[in-house]
This record gives sequence, C-alpha cells and structure tokens, in this order.
Amino acid sequence: MAGSTIDHLVAFGVFLAAILLFISLFNQTLQTAILYQQHRQLATRCSDMLDNILLNPGYPINWGRTNCTPTSFGLQDPEFTEYRLSPFSLMRLQSLTGTPIVYPKTGLTYSNISAGFGNFLFVPYTIAINYATATKLLGINNTYGFQLTISPIVTVAITETKPTNPLTLAVRAYGSGFPLSNATLSYCFLKVVPEGPGKNPSYSSTFGTTYTNDEGLAVLTFSNVASTDSYALIVYAHMSGLVGIGYKERIISDKRYVLPLIDSFEDRRVLLAHSYDVHYYGPPESAVFFNATFVLLSEDFTLREMPMENSTGKIGKVNYGQGQPYATLTIPTYNPGILVITYESNNEHGVVLMPWGLSSMAFSITFGAQSNNMEWVATDLRQVLVNGVAYQAKLALWSYEGQQVIG
Amino acid sequence: MMRTVEILLVIIIITGAFVVSSLFAVLPSPRQVSPINLRRLALTTLQTLDADYALSEIVFKSANDPKWDELQIALSACLPPNIVYNLTVYEVQNEGQQLYQRIKSITNAESLGISSDAASYLTASSNVTFGVTPEKIGERGVGGTLYILNCSDANGWWITGYTAQKLAQDLYNLLSPYFKRTVMVQTTAQLGQILNGTALQGETLQSAVVINTFGETVPIPSGYYATQGSQDSYGKYCYILGQRVRQYNWTWASIVGWPFYYVSNTALFASNQNGWGIYGMVQVSSYGLQAFLQGLDNQPYSHTQSSTGSPGVVYLTSIARQYSNYYGIYPSPYQTATRALPQSIQSTFHLTVTTCIFTPVNNYYAGAVYRHAGTGALLALGLTRTPDIRLTALGLLCDYKPRLYRSEYTAMGTSRLVVLQLGQVGGV
Repeated sequence: MAGSTIDHLVAFGVFLAAILLFISLFNQTLQTAILYQQHRQLATRCSDMLDNILLNPGYPINWGRTNCTPTSFGLQDPEFTEYRLSPFSLMRLQSLTGTPIVYPKTGLTYSNISAGFGNFLFVPYTIAINYATATKLLGINNTYGFQLTISPIVTVAITETKPTNPLTLAVRAYGSGFPLSNATLSYCFLKVVPEGPGKNPSYSSTFGTTYTNDEGLAVLTFSNVASTDSYALIVYAHMSGLVGIGYKERIISDKRYVLPLIDSFEDRRVLLAHSYDVHYYGPPESAVFFNATFVLLSEDFTLREMPMENSTGKIGKVNYGQGQPYATLTIPTYNPGILVITYESNNEHGVVLMPWGLSSMAFSITFGAQSNNMEWVATDLRQVLVNGVAYQAKLALWSYEGQQVIG
Repeated sequence: MMRTVEILLVIIIITGAFVVSSLFAVLPSPRQVSPINLRRLALTTLQTLDADYALSEIVFKSANDPKWDELQIALSACLPPNIVYNLTVYEVQNEGQQLYQRIKSITNAESLGISSDAASYLTASSNVTFGVTPEKIGERGVGGTLYILNCSDANGWWITGYTAQKLAQDLYNLLSPYFKRTVMVQTTAQLGQILNGTALQGETLQSAVVINTFGETVPIPSGYYATQGSQDSYGKYCYILGQRVRQYNWTWASIVGWPFYYVSNTALFASNQNGWGIYGMVQVSSYGLQAFLQGLDNQPYSHTQSSTGSPGVVYLTSIARQYSNYYGIYPSPYQTATRALPQSIQSTFHLTVTTCIFTPVNNYYAGAVYRHAGTGALLALGLTRTPDIRLTALGLLCDYKPRLYRSEYTAMGTSRLVVLQLGQVGGV
C-alpha cells in the first residue's frame, strides 16, 4: 500500500515537472511563430505604406506648391499617375540629417537640405512638414515609426583636373557602382564676371552637349577661365530613361556670400541673406552684391536660361547686422529649375546654387525618425521619377507595439 | 512503479511531439520574413526606363542593335548591386499561334537564386496608331444635337483673351465627335429660329445641348424676343430662355462667370454699353439668372436678384478626374471660383445636381449640371475669367457619359511584352 502511494507521488511529481517544462518549451515555439507573423505583417505594412505615400498626391493635391499643411499626406505629382513624385512636395519635407540653421532677421529655424557649400536649400520649419504631422496624417502615430529616403539613382561627379588654360573638368556618370557609358551630357557653364567694388557682378554662360565614354567619363574644357575666376557647372546626364544631375562651383570667397532661404512656396519667394547673419563670422563685414538667374531643364534634356525681370529682385545687395534688411527674389516659374546667384564683395566673388524643385539638383532627402534600438525594421524599395529624374525611394518601417512577446 | 513508468512514457511522447513541432516552427531567415517587394521594384524599374519611351523604342530594335547594350547599362545602373535580373522581351503574336514568342533576353547572372519575382510591361511600337470611336450622344434615344452659339452679331464678356467665335471653334473640335449632329448658331437670328422650335439643318431640336460661348453674356435675337423680353432690362428675356430650355428639354451650358448677367446684340444695342464700356450689350445684372431659373421651373416671372458665392480655389471631384482620364481632357485640377451657385437653388427651383465638376465648398457649387425635376438642365461654371472650355466639355461628358470604343492594339508586330525578373543575392 505504501509502495503504491510512493509510486503515485513520484509519478505525479515527475508529471507535474514535465508539464511545466513542456509548457515553457511550447511557449517558446509559439512566441517564435507570433514573432514571425509580426515581422511578416510589418513587411507587408511597409510595402503598402510606401505605395500609399508614393501613389497618392495628398490633399490638397497641390500642397507642395502652397504653404498650407496638408490634410492627407502623399508625395505623388498631381499632374501624373504612377510612381512620379512632386519635386515641390519633397522640398517641403523636414530633413532628418541636415543641421538646421536659425536666421535672426526672420526669427525662423530652417530645415537644411543642402548638399555642401554653394548648393543650398533651406526651408523654414513653419512651412516644412515635420515627422509628427506626417505620422498623424498617415494614421500611424505611436504605432509605427518610419524613415523615408529619396535618393538619386544616377550620380554625376565633377572634378577639376586643370584649373586654367584651359579649365578642364572630368565628369563621371554612374549609378549603383555601374558607369553610364555613352550617356548624353547636357551642361551649362556660368562664369562670374566681377564688375568691381560696389557693383553687381555679371556672368557669362555657355551651353553644350557631349557624351561619356565606355567608362562613363567625359572631359569638358573651357578656355578663357583664369585660376582666379569663379564658375558653376551644371551637368545633366541621360540615357535610356535614366537622368542624373551633377554640379560644381569654384569660388573665390566663401565667407561673405549670399544665402538663399525659401520664404514662400505659394508666392515663389526666396529671401537672400548675408552669410554673416547666419554664421556669425564677426567683423569685418561688408555688403555682398548679387546677380541671379534661373536655369531649367527643357523637355529635350538641354539646359536653358530663363530670363528674369529686374522686378523679380534678381539684382541687389545685402548686408550684415541690424538695420540691414534681407533681399527678396521671386522665382519666375513653377517649373523646376536651378536658381544661380553670382555674388561679389570687396573683389571677392563666387556663385551659389539653389534647386527650385528637389530634383533639379538631384538632392536627396531623408525624412522621418531614427530606427536605433528597434527590434525589427522592415524596408522596401521603389524606383520613382521626380520631374523626369530617376530616384530610388526607400522606406524603413518599425513597430512600437508587440515587443512583449519576446521571451 | 508502474505509474512512474507510464509517466516516463508520456514524457517521451510529449518530447517527440515537441521535437517534431519545433522542426516546423523555425523562424525563417530575415529575407524570407521581411522580403523586398521585388515585383514592385521590377515594375517601377521598367516604368523608369520607359519614362521618355526609351524602353519602348529599344525593344522594337533588331536583336544586335547597340541600343540593347545601352538598355543593359541603364538596367545595371539603376538596380541595387545585390539585385540580379533577367529581362526578356516577347513578341505578341496573332491568335492561332503561340501567343508570346521570345525575342531577346539580357541578364547579369546565370541564376536568380532560390526566390525571385517578376513584373511584365506591355510596350507599343511608335508606328502604331490607336483608334478611338466615341459613342454618339443621342444614338440610343432622343436628342444628340449640340448647338454652339457662334453669333457674329453679339459680343462676349468675361472671356478675356478669347472671342466667342474662337471658343466656339475649339468646342466644336472637342465635342462634335460625341454628338450625332453639331450645329454652329451663326447669328442671333438663327438663335431666334431655334428658340421658335425650327431646326436650322434638319437636326433634332428636342433634348439638345446649347453651349453659350459668350461668357456672362447671352445673345438676344431682335424682333419677338427683344420686344417681349425687354422688361426689367431684358430680365424677361432670360425668363423666356428658361421656358424654352424647359419646353425643348435642353441642357444650357454657361462656360464662365455669372450666367445671364448681360444680353448682347450689336445691331440692337449699337449705342448701349454694359457699364464697362463694351457696346452692343445691356446689363441685366443678377436678375438674369433668377429669371432663367424661374422660367426653367415654370414659376411666374418676378424681378428678383440671384446670388453667387466666391469660395476661392476649388478642386475637381474624383468623378471628374476619372472622366478626365477616360476622355483624355486635362484641365488644371484646381481653379478659382468667384461666381459659384448656391446649393439653395436646388430646392427653390426643383433642381438636382446630376454631375458635380468641382467639390462643393461651403454649400456653393463652382461647377455642376443642375437637372430640373421636369425637363431642362443648366450647366454652370461659376469660375473666374478667363474660361477654360475643356471644363465645359468635361462637365457635359461627365453628365452624358458617352462610351469610347478603342481599337485593337495587340495586333502582330505592334506590341511587345517585357518581363523583368529580379532576384536577390548575398546576405541572409
């Protein structure tokens, strides 16, 4: 009798221990399956959301060309179908990566989408769409986080191989590490012509077309360019539907210059600020005289200069400090292009560029939040066109929910 | 002892079950769990390559044309380095043969790995012409006549930059394919003739569409209509017009601004001007629209003002955008409205909005077709000048919805199917 009781007790004890162990083990298996489902769902959601952003212009459909906050978020160009994005909606996204600047004369902070010195794009926070607004409009605030990167597919790199007699520039076009051989290059070369102290500079422009060789390389030469001359070169490369853009400036002065700041998309108005007002270099300061022009890419892939009336504010001067107002300039068109501003100050001169429409200078933008410390990040890709320029749109998506299943 | 042995057997069975289930419940590799949507990537790549029709041009070239190398370079350049591809072009053949015949393939790898996905894209030769035959309005029922007011003896207002005659010609080109008969009303006398119920060229008068190309002005025939309609600065004429629209079940289209604000006849009003220095015209003011609607609703005539609103920027409705694509008419999707008709006219004059061209703002319709409960209709575009007659055409087509019969475009040698298959290499 006692033996039977002991047998039952041992058996029950072993059975209980085994059941607890197996519950724990099966729980692990279930968690693995749930995790799989969640990751799979996140990938599907990522693909859907990317399509949702890229195939929808938002509302109002032309919000990229206004200063209003959209009530629905989307980046599609309202004048097209398929994966074609609005170059102006992209301009209105607040950059995640660029260091913002503050301009005391307007009291505003500006999102910095610039691509190095001389290639500026600053959009005030008051009209840039921030991440919090975008997540609310997409209906994912506090549930999902995302980072959207729009970057050009084709890179056009320009290096100066000989500074003068003649000026020689090497242009290399490539995409994803593969050279664009036999691509057509359309270029615009603008040389600053200083007119002396207290005067606005003028400029001379040269337009042309050439082709890359088998290695995706082309050499451009320009005579009558001294080593002390400032210039800007803008190159469009195109082949079989792919379009890429490159640019290079040489400047003689990089302290006193003109800084273009977007003021109003709706009115196409740009503020021109003295660099000292933003960078606080300190004295001595002097006025900067400028002369602006606008260059656009025509449908036959050639660059053309669009004349600007004097009434647009294309010629003027800006100075540093209180009592010295900024200048304003009105872009003459809603067509994307490049604002070229030549400047001169105390015999120092240079040129800065600003895209009107993100694609005009193939700027890339990263919009959203950082995915650091997230358990799982799903990504998806699309090839898109922004005003005819080939871009890649990459969305990284993560979830703020469902972490508790990790055992 | 026996119980312990039994428990041990149970443990062995459960362990077996766990081992077997664990074999199936393994979390796959990240690439399988969270894959890049290769199908979409392939489709968008093909669309990018065909952005300026370069792909459509290359795939019709002979197999040894150097342009194929350019295509391969572009393809390699635009895909991420870890993506391998195979692009195959097929000829679309006639019925009775193998439907797709392979023309050429280009690839950058021997194999696309264990998982791949593909997208297809149909390209058409640039030599192909696509025929579209529209269904004629009135083919299956009454009506089918389009009258375009092109009166040489009247002046327009709020059509700045155009003449009514130029707009009439453009409207003729746009809309005449959709109607059984299009008649240009060349004089105010001819307008009087159709108002009297007499056809000009043997056309069907009943259920016609009448487009007034004179903007805020409406031509007025001399004689009966000028005499009977002269009351209240020709407000009565607008009333009679409303009655005629009702009588003949017409759809009256006003292309811009405040309808029936002026009447014009250059001979009749040679010494009158509209208040803004344009001779040959008399201002009816806002009474004209109200009088027209009274006539349309068969109400007794009274000299009452109408009102309009100024909602500002208005947007095409989703239906209008859909038909914009269907008929290939692409006006700007947003316009400025300063003479939008109020919603209240629907209940006052027994009207129903059958087509809304612009999304209503604050109970104002910037562009809509108002159909009367009995007969007759009014298309009013309360936009600011200058007029875009494509909006009038779009509004009418949205309302009548004639079908388009498109010609066959997969004829032999005119279409090629491009299939881009993508695979991923490297990583896990």
